[in-house]
Amino acid sequence: MATTDQEVNELIKREYEHGFVTEIEADTFEPGLNEDVIARLSAIKKEPEFMLEWRLKAYRRWLEMKEPDWAHVGYPKIDYNAISYYSAPKRPEDMPQSLDEVDPELLRTYEKLGIPLHEREKLAGVAVDAVFDSVSVATTFKEPLAKAGVIFCSISEAVRDYPELVQKYLGTVVPHTDNYFAGLNSAVFSDGTFVYVPKGVRCPMELSTYFRINAANTGQFERTLIIADEGSYVSYLEGCTAPMRDENQLHAAVVELVALDDAQIKYSTVQNWYPGDENGKGGIYNFVTKRGACIGKNSKISWTQVETGSAITWKYPSCILRGENSVGEFYSVALTHNYQQADTGTKMIHLGKNTSSTIISKGISAGRSSNAYRGLVKFGPRAEGARNFTQCDSLLIGDQCGAHTFPYIESLNKSAIVEHEATTSKVSDEQMFLCRQRGIDPEQAVSMIVNGFCKEVFKELPMEFAVEAGKLLEVSLEGSVG
Amino acid sequence: MKPAPTLLSSAFLQPAGQALPEPLLALRRQRGAALVDMPLPTRKTENWKYSSKYLKLTDEIAGSLPATGKTGSALAVPGYKVVFINGVMVPEASEYPDLNDILIQRFGDLSEAEANELAERLDSTLDTRTVQFAGLNSARFEDGLLIRLKPNAVLDKPLFIIHEVTASTSGSAFPRVFVDAGRNSQITLVEEYFSSGQEAALVNTVTEFNLADGANVTNIRLNMDGENVQHIGATGVRQQRNSRFESHCMGFGGPLRRHDLQVWLEGEGAECKLNGVVVTQGSQHYDNHTTIEHVAAHCNSEETYRNIAADKSHAVFNGRIHIHKDAQKSNANMNNKNLLLSTGAEIDTKPELEIYADDVKCAHGATIGQLDEESLFYLVSRGIGRREANVLLTMAFINELVAQIPVDAVKDTMQTRLNQFFDQAFQEV
Repeated sequence: MATTDQEVNELIKREYEHGFVTEIEADTFEPGLNEDVIARLSAIKKEPEFMLEWRLKAYRRWLEMKEPDWAHVGYPKIDYNAISYYSAPKRPEDMPQSLDEVDPELLRTYEKLGIPLHEREKLAGVAVDAVFDSVSVATTFKEPLAKAGVIFCSISEAVRDYPELVQKYLGTVVPHTDNYFAGLNSAVFSDGTFVYVPKGVRCPMELSTYFRINAANTGQFERTLIIADEGSYVSYLEGCTAPMRDENQLHAAVVELVALDDAQIKYSTVQNWYPGDENGKGGIYNFVTKRGACIGKNSKISWTQVETGSAITWKYPSCILRGENSVGEFYSVALTHNYQQADTGTKMIHLGKNTSSTIISKGISAGRSSNAYRGLVKFGPRAEGARNFTQCDSLLIGDQCGAHTFPYIESLNKSAIVEHEATTSKVSDEQMFLCRQRGIDPEQAVSMIVNGFCKEVFKELPMEFAVEAGKLLEVSLEGSVG
Repeated sequence: MKPAPTLLSSAFLQPAGQALPEPLLALRRQRGAALVDMPLPTRKTENWKYSSKYLKLTDEIAGSLPATGKTGSALAVPGYKVVFINGVMVPEASEYPDLNDILIQRFGDLSEAEANELAERLDSTLDTRTVQFAGLNSARFEDGLLIRLKPNAVLDKPLFIIHEVTASTSGSAFPRVFVDAGRNSQITLVEEYFSSGQEAALVNTVTEFNLADGANVTNIRLNMDGENVQHIGATGVRQQRNSRFESHCMGFGGPLRRHDLQVWLEGEGAECKLNGVVVTQGSQHYDNHTTIEHVAAHCNSEETYRNIAADKSHAVFNGRIHIHKDAQKSNANMNNKNLLLSTGAEIDTKPELEIYADDVKCAHGATIGQLDEESLFYLVSRGIGRREANVLLTMAFINELVAQIPVDAVKDTMQTRLNQFFDQAFQEV
């Protein structure tokens, strides 16, 4: 056993693979937040007047808001004036038109992260809108998408090129008054992704963005807006890693999805931001507002997420099911280790007739972490025949961690049916014995059992993500047994 | 319209009835002082989220109801009986044995030493931060019942505590019960709440149980207060090794009905079983909040609650299971099913798990739905009237729990009230 223990100890000590800082000169704002900063930000981005007004309105409202404290997480107070609100790689005036023009330093960064841009472009057929800090630096596959009529660009470009679409939909799902962090994001969002799929178009490829937080002390405020017009379909992948850093970094993103009649949006996330070291030092604060609105009949929005990173995760990808027969889905695996804290779940708001939703949530806690599912299922008085099924399971590894479930269920309609189930258990001795007996080492056994526990969610992920997610769990769980 | 008050009015902090031993009066003063400027719950107060809008603490109902000595109804009960009217015990109407090993005393009759001991233990079973209104009872109680069972004592028949409120004028009542069950003792305690009179009233109760090793306590709570009565009750239970607590909370709705039940499993092998049935109609409300604290290892808890909401009524259930850090091998099961009989009625449920130990088995389930059309069709196609079929299926939804009530007389009372409910709820079917 001595060798095993040693190996396990080594594994425990292994540091975060993706932790490194790319040395690129960044054109960064001085820390601080006021109306001037917002005006400068807007000016740099050459935004139309309406955008600046919108930002300032959000900022003024945000000043009156109070930081929420109801979540099951704890963290030192954030000084919003110690954060820099803009950081872009140099040479913003000549943005690269193709990969050859991209700064080789950046490309190396992506390579280290295992994002083979070239390969992806050629083999996987995935267009990548890679966000390096705050400005999009490389966008591939724009042309075939353009041929299909799909708009896939950074939100800054969209603000300039498609102001009417942005103005029509931005903030309709997550208004700037929604919550503290959404308000902050509305005021200072730096960049993000914009997708518009026109009527009847099935997006020819999976769209994907890799987020990356780089420059020190820069909170990243992503804003994503996806609109699926009547009868269209789009699948969007989001994945992220971040370099190692001692100071906590704030990430307050907003994602808005809009599905019109018969449209479908599938949104998948693999989140692997720096979770802090084994003593709970450092790590990203991930306070995200994600929400989709099924405003059309027969529309469908599906969220799939694998959350293994961040010191604190606080997000509730939600669906507002307004259109008749619309469908909402939420599949989630949240894994916490060491001192990580996660308070995540979903909201399914049933407003229209015969709307249905499914929630499958798997929480895994190890080390001294805390993992909470918090969800709301609500049936409005007009949600005739609405249906929900919820299952949230928790798995505990080690006796120092916590697993919590806070489901809110509210029904105002007698013909609506909701079912909710939750269980909590640990990796059982019998399962471990069975694996060990067959010569599987404990690390691998736990990983196998955990992968089995999450299978229901993984099968919802696009293929390449599913593989990555399985690996990610394995890496994240290292050192949890022994 | 006047804006709703945000703080507890000082009118609520003036206790009447000074016929208590000094230590209890001192306790009352102390608790009262702590409530000065107590904020009233709002929609933003998490544990009053769904119910704060029903809470109407007007100065009109702040004063104590007069302690009249006449009971409005002569109840025959199959057991022992203690009658409280407006929170004050009526010895003439009460019948209970004078035993050596089971002491049943009203607070007013306690010696200074006994009162001292009691004052130290009152409120020890409830977390007053989450059960805000238990403190109000402690600041206002005018009388109370102390039941002490010596080791191995067994009360041979159920003890009924009849809490009657005579609301011929507006006011409030603050009944208080404290049960101390010694080692391996046994008792069945039935609490019935009902009211007479039509004026607006508030009933604010606290019942506390302390179970020593191996004690076995069954508590039945039947709430039948009238449409003019706001009821805010709390029950706190502390359980030691191998003790067993069984609770049956049966209630009918009203303008405001709130019951907080907190159970602390503090000794290994302790076990609790909590059953609840709530029935609401018209524009009634009922809110049950339960908390089970698994503090010690090897404890079991089993919780089953059913709500039925008809018309425009509103039923709320919030169950919380908290497994503490060292409570390994805990077994906890919570189940809440709800039946919505009409659109316009509202049901809110929140089954929570908070777990800090890894070797545990915890599960909860919750559903909200309506009567199954196919089952209705099955019955109707066999010649059973639609109305009767509805009644049958609704009764079947809660019968599992009603049948478990261990005292037949309570079961019968419950059934009578349920029949009235069915008559009204299915009038138009």
